[in-house]
Amino acid sequence: MTTITGTPSEGVTTRIARLQARTPLERYGYLFMRLSGVALIVLAIGHMMIQHVLNDVHSLTLEFVRQQWTSWGWRTYDLFLLIFAISHGFNGLRVVLEDYIHNPRTVRFVRWFLLIFTIITIVWSAVAIATFDASIG
Amino acid sequence: MSKIPVSSARDYTVELRVRRFNPEKDSAPWWGEYTLEGVSPNDTVLDLLHRVKWTMDGTLSLRRSCAHGVCGSDNMKINGANALACKMLVARLANGKNPVSIQVEPMAGLPVLKDLIVDMEPFFEHYRSVLPYFINDEPPPADGRERLQSPEDREKFDDTTKCILCAACTTSCPSFWADDRYVGPAAIVQAHRFIYDSRDQGYEERLSIMAEQFGVWKCRTIFNCTNACPRDIEVTKAIAEVKMSITTGKV
Ligand code: SF4
Ligand code: FES
Repeated sequence: MTTITGTPSEGVTTRIARLQARTPLERYGYLFMRLSGVALIVLAIGHMMIQHVLNDVHSLTLEFVRQQWTSWGWRTYDLFLLIFAISHGFNGLRVVLEDYIHNPRTVRFVRWFLLIFTIITIVWSAVAIATFDASIG
Repeated sequence: MSKIPVSSARDYTVELRVRRFNPEKDSAPWWGEYTLEGVSPNDTVLDLLHRVKWTMDGTLSLRRSCAHGVCGSDNMKINGANALACKMLVARLANGKNPVSIQVEPMAGLPVLKDLIVDMEPFFEHYRSVLPYFINDEPPPADGRERLQSPEDREKFDDTTKCILCAACTTSCPSFWADDRYVGPAAIVQAHRFIYDSRDQGYEERLSIMAEQFGVWKCRTIFNCTNACPRDIEVTKAIAEVKMSITTGKV
């Protein structure tokens, strides 16, 4: 077995320098998952309560949504739910996939693919929420 | 943990299944099956393996040294969970049954060299990568004696000083199985032991190693490591403390 010396070997030292220079994606990713997780507990439970407990699922019609979205407060609520749920979910998927995909090029592809997919989904749905015409009835 | 009934009677029969593999002869691993009569409930799995090796099949290969849970060299998968063979009693596995079925395999996630012996080098490579030694370039105190530390400061890393590097945690970790570039719980425990030592000055370097892509963030808080540790170290908690220090910058 290799003996452990009192000072870091050159390999370890260069490795540290390399690591310090790297952007701490995983670190911010981890923090993001914790914070968005807390936000989602509030937002998703609130959403569940309103849609499934306080109201009967059968009364969840377009008219119900239209009435809710006459208020910009609810639109903002749904927008936040959308942003956090999609980004939290897709970042989670990225993390799981990267556990099993080891080829750096495939990893890069997966990252970009999920990022673009996430942005498109959020923008597209946000446009729908923002431009919904609540005056039709 | 439940109380084990103590008895000195040698009235147990053990159906022992051992995962065997000799790279020079076998194309694939196979199960060696051994029936052992007259086993005491106080016998350990290591005793059983010794009996097979010494009286039935001398080619059975395994690592062990102290036989008393101190050196950490005989961690293996016993009935599906990592444990030190020298600490695992037949009585604990019997669960009131006689005959007892016991299955022994090499620990997962490291290449098998022969029978129960795995290549520990990837494990120790991760261990060395966290600078697991005291770093302090300041001259020792003027009286030439020890660098003092308060009992409170000592307490911060007390748990992680207990590690014997048996690899039970790392080889029970699904994140490590999925990607062996992950530094693994044992190496994080070792880093923790020095990061929170008030006399040590290498914490910045170690935290930056811990913060890399294959450092603490690969931990998914599965808790297998905490369950597996024969020294009852709260491994997942130690990892969480390191994550917290990286996030807040506080040690
Ligand atoms: S933390 Fe526990 S399980 Fe992991 S190597 Fe150390 S003693 Fe073994
Ligand atoms: S032989 Fe030393 S710990 Fe089991």
